[in-house]
Amino acid sequence: MEIIKANAVKFEYAYPDEAPRVVLHGVDLGIEKGSFVALLGHNGSGKSTLAKHFNAILLPTGGTVLVDGMDTADEAHLYDVRRTVGMVLQNPDNQMVSSIVEEDVAFGPENLGVPPQEICRRVEDALRAVDMYAYRDSAPHKLSGGQKQRIAIAGILAMQPEVLVLDEPTAMLDPVGRREVLETVHRLNRERGMTVILITHYMEEAVGADRVVVIDDGSVRMDGTPREIFSQVEELRALQLDVPQPTALAFALRKAGYPLPRDILTEAECADAIAALLQKGVSA
Amino acid sequence: MTVLETRDLCYTYGAGMPFAHAALRGVSVAFEEGRLTAVIGHTGSGKSTLAQHLNGLLKPESGEILLEGKNIWEDPKKIRDVRFKVGMVFQYPEYQLFEDTVEKDIAFGPRNMGLSEEEIAARVKEAAAAVGLSDTLLQKSPFDLSGGEKRRAAIAGVLAMRPRVLVLDEPTAGLDPVGREQMLRQIEQYRETHDATVLLISHSMEDVARLADRVLVLKDGEVAMYDTAPAVFARADELEAMGLTVPSVARVFAALRQRGVPVPADVYTVKKACAVLCDLFEERGVPTC
Repeated sequence: MEIIKANAVKFEYAYPDEAPRVVLHGVDLGIEKGSFVALLGHNGSGKSTLAKHFNAILLPTGGTVLVDGMDTADEAHLYDVRRTVGMVLQNPDNQMVSSIVEEDVAFGPENLGVPPQEICRRVEDALRAVDMYAYRDSAPHKLSGGQKQRIAIAGILAMQPEVLVLDEPTAMLDPVGRREVLETVHRLNRERGMTVILITHYMEEAVGADRVVVIDDGSVRMDGTPREIFSQVEELRALQLDVPQPTALAFALRKAGYPLPRDILTEAECADAIAALLQKGVSA
Repeated sequence: MTVLETRDLCYTYGAGMPFAHAALRGVSVAFEEGRLTAVIGHTGSGKSTLAQHLNGLLKPESGEILLEGKNIWEDPKKIRDVRFKVGMVFQYPEYQLFEDTVEKDIAFGPRNMGLSEEEIAARVKEAAAAVGLSDTLLQKSPFDLSGGEKRRAAIAGVLAMRPRVLVLDEPTAGLDPVGREQMLRQIEQYRETHDATVLLISHSMEDVARLADRVLVLKDGEVAMYDTAPAVFARADELEAMGLTVPSVARVFAALRQRGVPVPADVYTVKKACAVLCDLFEERGVPTC
């Protein structure tokens, strides 16, 4: 079942005395419930604009977006659309509203009018889900970037959305913080069946997704499994993107004439393929 | 020659308060003229606190900062000169644009330096070109630019002061791969043209590996390592323990060593890795296709 369905979505920014700037040129995209989709594209490709359509922060100027069957342009559905799709942004500091972790996580459900007992239960559950329950009484500003971003995710989880959209959630984090956040969203997807849409500029973060969608110039340009997408090194580079380093190394070696597989994604696969190739040497 | 140096630098946030936090604990480090040094460390390791001392935004609790051999706080009234010589690009500098045109925004620094109008105009032009901003953008409001253009405009505002030392705090955060590459190339070019010294704070080990002459690793406010990039990345286990990593391709090489393939430990860029493996394949007589 498709939990989000974009039908020929167009979006343009209007200016008073200039021609409008068209950002999305008729995007057709369906997101399966329970899937983990990575959305890639260079700066200005339109991927964040598209993501903002998924919870009605932006409304299409042409076409429709359906969230769980609800048209986002229908104001009567606004509340339910926002509750179905939660969004986490790049900078965790911009998403904190309280001086205590627990209260911060409770902010969303409080606004939804959830009864107090139920809020307590949801806050505990959300904090456990991101492995931050031990920090429930801490001050958010004293946490590391990765911890803060996990609190931001918990704040969304407490509203019990079906879809989690993350717009470059790791851009400001150190390597460990980045790993913490990624492991958290993968676990939510695996264990709770949460649909995840991850926007990122780090190609290696897309490797673990079920599906990679590449946006360029406001349209879907590539759509497939990480293996299918990242094996197209030259096409990706032409779209101002890149591939994970193990894929890039295999590609460079292939260009040098050595028969390495096209669809290498991980470090272990790369090492295995190189070791296997060495076995074929005459002096091996 | 050392252009900038810290000696036993200590700084505590909220000193004397119940929540006092020692951010720098005796940092002594010297930066050679013309070098590009990457500063890495986990969140809270003291990178940004150190950076803010280098141009006098923070005053050390103890210890000193020497610019061209002189303590920058010797005459506190002259600290402005230090800020012209040590240019600082903060995280997300695009949020600091404020003028009504890009040109005026870039000119703000040079104007404060008291330069002539001709000189200011020349510097704005040069700085805009250095970051790849076209002339047509100069008359626009900075708020009409794209995110990437805003970032470049903000960096141009610092370059226009022609700092001898350029400190950049995660200049590539949030940029796509090509934008990252361009930004790093432009920084590299500024360094070459002006023989400038560059300090680059970064969480991207891949960027650090490609560019840095030296890598300074901070841990809990202390210098944990300060060495060439190969020497630092060869200590992968220690880096991991500090919440850092080595570039992905270095981990591929580590995996190869585990599989008994004799490859060196100091390889951490795709280019070098490819060259090393091609040599090895040839030596072992691996057939090409």
